[in-house]
Amino acid sequence: MKYNPTEADWIDYLYGNMSSEQVMRFEAYLIENPEAQKKLESLQEMRKWMTSVEDKEVIAPPLFITNAQNSFWQFPYAKTILSIAASLLIIIIAGWLTNFHIQTDGNGIRFAFGEEKIIEPVDAKPNLTNEEVQVLINQSIASNATALEQKWMQQQEELKKSVNKNLARTASNNEKFDLLVQQVASASQTQVQAYMASMQQQNLKSMQEYLTLTSNDQKAYIEGLLVDFAKYLQQQRNDDLRLLQAKITDVEQTNNQFKAETEQILTSLISNNNGRTLPTGIRN
Amino acid sequence: MAETLLDIAMMHADTLILRAKQGDQHAQGRLVQLWYKRIYNFCFKFFQDHDLAMEVTQKTFIAMCKSLPALQDVLRFKSWLYTIAVNYCREEARKTKNKKAVSFDLVVNPESEQSPNWEGTNVRHDNPEKVYQSRELSDILQQALCMISAEQREVVIMKEYEGMKFREIAEVLNISENTVKSRLYYGLEALKKILTGKNINKETVHYEI
Repeated sequence: MKYNPTEADWIDYLYGNMSSEQVMRFEAYLIENPEAQKKLESLQEMRKWMTSVEDKEVIAPPLFITNAQNSFWQFPYAKTILSIAASLLIIIIAGWLTNFHIQTDGNGIRFAFGEEKIIEPVDAKPNLTNEEVQVLINQSIASNATALEQKWMQQQEELKKSVNKNLARTASNNEKFDLLVQQVASASQTQVQAYMASMQQQNLKSMQEYLTLTSNDQKAYIEGLLVDFAKYLQQQRNDDLRLLQAKITDVEQTNNQFKAETEQILTSLISNNNGRTLPTGIRN
Repeated sequence: MAETLLDIAMMHADTLILRAKQGDQHAQGRLVQLWYKRIYNFCFKFFQDHDLAMEVTQKTFIAMCKSLPALQDVLRFKSWLYTIAVNYCREEARKTKNKKAVSFDLVVNPESEQSPNWEGTNVRHDNPEKVYQSRELSDILQQALCMISAEQREVVIMKEYEGMKFREIAEVLNISENTVKSRLYYGLEALKKILTGKNINKETVHYEI
């Protein structure tokens, strides 16, 4: 089996840690392998070069180590434990100051701050019987009815007073009216006629004024209407005249055209039948 | 990477870790002093940024001091510490994914000739050509590291610069050793490819081991 040295073998040979047998075997391998020989030389060279690095001189400074092995702070977890304890203490104090409390019951856990309010449980059992409740209802209805009756009586009284007052007032009015009627009846026939005549005069005057005012307006309106109608008639006449002129011009043009066409036809007929006798025997 | 034997011994001193675990602040401070440079350099190579590397390093050590009592197996302190650092690196990378900033290091380089600190560095005593080549290659390599994936970068830095075992890296990243090797292999290959792309090869680098 071919020998192939491991890294450990190389190092053992390099540092002289091999037994004589191992050395022989390793050296035989080196003879067989010039590459391995080169490698060994390279490593040996490296080791030689490494001796060029010398130690640095240094003076040991004095060390003062206090013998504080029994100190509480030397305990590895002392600070951690103390910090946890301090945190817990702060939490407890904060809880005490804020009146923090935790309650557990059938519904779960409850965290709360401040004073705890004790709510007395409501007795589910009814204190009153049905009869008692009925009596209470009846009493309430009766008291309501009494109150309503009293109120109604009071309102009736007030109404009565008000009616009497109104009646008294209307009686005094009637007396005044009767007095006026008596005054009218006592007036003479001439006074009535004079009054009627003056009334007629006034009416006539106002009617005249009205008619005067309305006739002026009507006159102005009719004048305006006549002017407008005259303008309209004039415009209509002008339009008719223009239309007539256009028609006449149109007829004239048509006539001229017809005349020209007729002349043209006649010319062509004459030129075509030049020297020939028309079937009718007329010579051109 | 180069530490004194005493420092390395201290890094793994179980007693120191145990004392720190029991709350000995002096031991904790010593642990910080010992591991600060390693964690800072891991973070710096991860970010290529001094400020970020400082921040993550500080966070890592603060977390280390706090969580040390909870560490069950002191033998796994290194991988545990790197796990914290990797997690903070990832967190910071997530935060700064969309942020762009220029590190103050790039503005004021203490090794630059214009820097007032230049005379205090060892750089000026070396061969200028070699220094220049090495620095150039270093810069290119660091740039290349930032170009490979974060997973490969973590493994390459841990293995090449932090000198961690494969088992430790697997523990930190909560992956199998084979995965670590595989990531490292592909990481190296990727770096090589990037450098080839930048025309870095045997002929152009006259590097002397």
